[in-house]
Amino acid sequence: MNGLRGISARRVAGLQKIKPDRPRIAVGLATCGTAVGGDRVYRRLQEVIENSGDDIMLTKTGCMGYCREEPLVNVTIPGKPLVVLHGVSTDDADEIVRAVRAGKVPYDRVLCQIPSWDHMSGTTIEYGRGFDQVPPYEDVPFFSHQKKVVLRNTGFINPEDLDEYLAVGGYAAAKKALTEMTPDAVIVEVERSGLRGRGGAGFPTGLKWRIAKKETGDQKYVICNADEGDPGAYMNRNEMESDPHMLVEGMIIGAYAVGAGEGLIYLRAEYPLAIKRLELAISEARTCGLLGKDIFDTGFDFDIRIVTGAGAFVCGESTALVASIEGKTGRPHPRPPRLTDLGGGLWGRPTVLNNVETWCNVPVIIQNGGDWFAEIGTEKNTGTKVFSLVGAVDRVGLVEVPLGTSLNTIVYEIGNGGANGKNVKAVQTGGPSGGCIPTRLFDMPMDYESLNRVGSIMGSGGIVVMDEETNMVDIARYFINFATGESCGKCVPCREGLKHTLLLLNKIMAGKGKENDLETLELLADTIKKTSLCGLGQSAPNPVLTTLAYFREEYDARVRR
Amino acid sequence: MTYGEVGRRDQPEKPITILINGKKCMAREGEIVLSVALREGVAIPHLCYEASLEPYGGCRLCMVEATDHGRTSMTTACSLRATEGLEVCTDTPEVVKYRNVLFELYLAEAPKSETIKEMAARYGVTKTSFLKKIDIEDALGGKCVLCGLCVRVCTEIMGAGAINFINRGPYTVVNTPYFEANTDCLGCGACANVCPTHAIQIEDRNGERVLHSWGGIKIPLKRCSSCGKYYTPEALAVSVQNTLMPPIRSDLAGFCPACRAKKCADMEIRAHMKTEGEGNHV
Ligand SMILES: Cc1cc2nc3c(=O)[nH]c(=O)nc-3n(C[C@H](O)[C@H](O)[C@H](O)COP(=O)(O)O)c2cc1C
Ligand code: SF4
Ligand code: FES
Repeated sequence: MNGLRGISARRVAGLQKIKPDRPRIAVGLATCGTAVGGDRVYRRLQEVIENSGDDIMLTKTGCMGYCREEPLVNVTIPGKPLVVLHGVSTDDADEIVRAVRAGKVPYDRVLCQIPSWDHMSGTTIEYGRGFDQVPPYEDVPFFSHQKKVVLRNTGFINPEDLDEYLAVGGYAAAKKALTEMTPDAVIVEVERSGLRGRGGAGFPTGLKWRIAKKETGDQKYVICNADEGDPGAYMNRNEMESDPHMLVEGMIIGAYAVGAGEGLIYLRAEYPLAIKRLELAISEARTCGLLGKDIFDTGFDFDIRIVTGAGAFVCGESTALVASIEGKTGRPHPRPPRLTDLGGGLWGRPTVLNNVETWCNVPVIIQNGGDWFAEIGTEKNTGTKVFSLVGAVDRVGLVEVPLGTSLNTIVYEIGNGGANGKNVKAVQTGGPSGGCIPTRLFDMPMDYESLNRVGSIMGSGGIVVMDEETNMVDIARYFINFATGESCGKCVPCREGLKHTLLLLNKIMAGKGKENDLETLELLADTIKKTSLCGLGQSAPNPVLTTLAYFREEYDARVRR
Repeated sequence: MTYGEVGRRDQPEKPITILINGKKCMAREGEIVLSVALREGVAIPHLCYEASLEPYGGCRLCMVEATDHGRTSMTTACSLRATEGLEVCTDTPEVVKYRNVLFELYLAEAPKSETIKEMAARYGVTKTSFLKKIDIEDALGGKCVLCGLCVRVCTEIMGAGAINFINRGPYTVVNTPYFEANTDCLGCGACANVCPTHAIQIEDRNGERVLHSWGGIKIPLKRCSSCGKYYTPEALAVSVQNTLMPPIRSDLAGFCPACRAKKCADMEIRAHMKTEGEGNHV
């Protein structure tokens, strides 16, 4: 029977792998873990286990997001809690295996313990009790303020194994949507959830789907925007590397809701591991009948393919992205028509484009209900958001918090303030075209509207922390330089305006600026923001406008009177 | 089908009224507001709009303030579509402020263009506070504003694709690949005709058309087999003959338009006289 090809057997097998009746060691092997030697730790552990002949299962997982403490290694001993080890090196391998063999954990490497974990979607894994001297997960300050919804599986399951995703409730939402719900009911549920696009603009996802559903036409598409061009942002990468099936499942549900027969994932070529794991996930899903023809015997056909992008920042913009998939130059065009309109999407077909994280939120909304989701966060900003907390912050990492969480909580309580004991001066949110927010505004909630009010954006969720030694004029110049290089050159405010903004900032940095240069700079930045064709130009001046607003004295100090 | 039609595929074209600067203007539902304004004699500066091409939205000079169902926003008139009750204002203080900066940017980008100078002056902008772009090797003589019209007519209308954008951001220029003469060019000269700033240099001399701006492409001109005058680039004649369905009759294909007209008239008269003689009116 299609759609159920051995799924329940695979779910049981998956549970056996997550909670085997022998010790299990799992190394965090996403790009971040690998970068700091996770793969070497894995190989060393493999050698040690082979040599000792111990009956220990060695496996890999994705990333738990605590980048500063990587490589992270999870240890489970039957009946005992899962224990997270941090900062593990190849030298620790012998010690880890020796301890595990004795039913213990290496105490000098422990970070925390997790007796049971709620994978939502109706599945809680009970690991066991014990190791009382190991602090519980909830007591680790980096984790205690977080709420893992999108990242609920990352670091727990093997992203290269469909069995494990099934074991934590995977594809139950897709089954529920396809077999128990009408497409309209799915859309209503997503609308009730209040989910807004996580790619930056915060457009209501349910509404976008409804518009696309209404369109007629022989074919529709759903596309996942996995271009993630913001330097310093890597939440989408981790979502794909650590839990690729969640994205696939979200797209199946979305495609069913709007009536699309084909899905595309526009993935930047710089993410080889994400490509590899998604390719594997797609082919495993196909083997099980979760993709392809007649999914869950409902007569619904849908398949996904990956398209690799050339890595230009502007290709993340929706109309440029579609042009790029069609083999044209990645340049934006004016809207209307929107992608969802007949004539406006891919090959002229109505198209729903959503960000990776937007898609990843869908299964849990279907499984637990829109109302459940809407309880998280604030009234107009529901659910959680994954942020990449980077820069001059003590605890660097991926942070998932309810929308509306204050910057204070994120930077000070989760991030522990500035790195190396320095004071924090500002953060830039939303990637290279986000605004710089001074510490005195840090009690503001992180939501789409509040960020816009202070001159910044949510973007895809980057938070770059700057400390007291940062020169804000230079920061503005740095980001304008980036944006100038990424401008596609189609419209004059962005193409010429950013160039002149950069020239003015260079002049001011060189101490040759005059007072009226600041006025010109401000007017120019404002013009670019208000008159550019696409979001790149419309947001690129934010670093200038916010530093002029909040750190004016640094400009004044550099211009001649 | 342009995508203008796609947007209103299932609505009948009903006449509606929109307000431009307080003036009542008749428009078709879904019609491009810039086109309505120009028909009604309301001046809106623009560089990248051409009725036969899809809206491009590159020059940003056609910014207007639009109020639709109580919602006001600034947008480009070339991508804005007429809907009942739409109110458009072309010179609010905000529009004027930003448009002036855009003019200053153009004065710096294309300092040699008289068209830009005149257009900007009409809106009171005669100076630029920005550094002027000086490039003595510029194939377009410091006049190109990257409106993309030449690229679009070459690709979308002529189907030749001989020129395109090279580089991106502030380094963008238009030219042939590697700035070399290429064989895709038909020599039609549509690029030069459509260029708002007359930046493209084309010359007919000694039986050939020389495209100075495009790597010096040379296209032999074809002589009229009747009067002997050069009248069209050979490549264009071939392309037209291949595209037209049905093609030009072979006995007329070698004639210049003037001679062809004469010959046609001649043939018509003869045929007419013949049928008259037979008393057999069609
Ligand atoms: C210059 C530019 C770059 C963008 N890059 C991305 C990106 O990397 N990933 C993304 O999901 N959205 C990106 N966006 C936003 C997309 O245009 C689009 O709004 C989004 O993919 C829609 O999905 P959502 O509703 O799920 O957010 C970018 C927008 C602009 C203007
Ligand atoms: S704003 Fe910049 S990136 Fe966007 S269309 Fe204009 S030139 Fe291109
Ligand atoms: S005519 Fe509207 S942007 Fe150029």
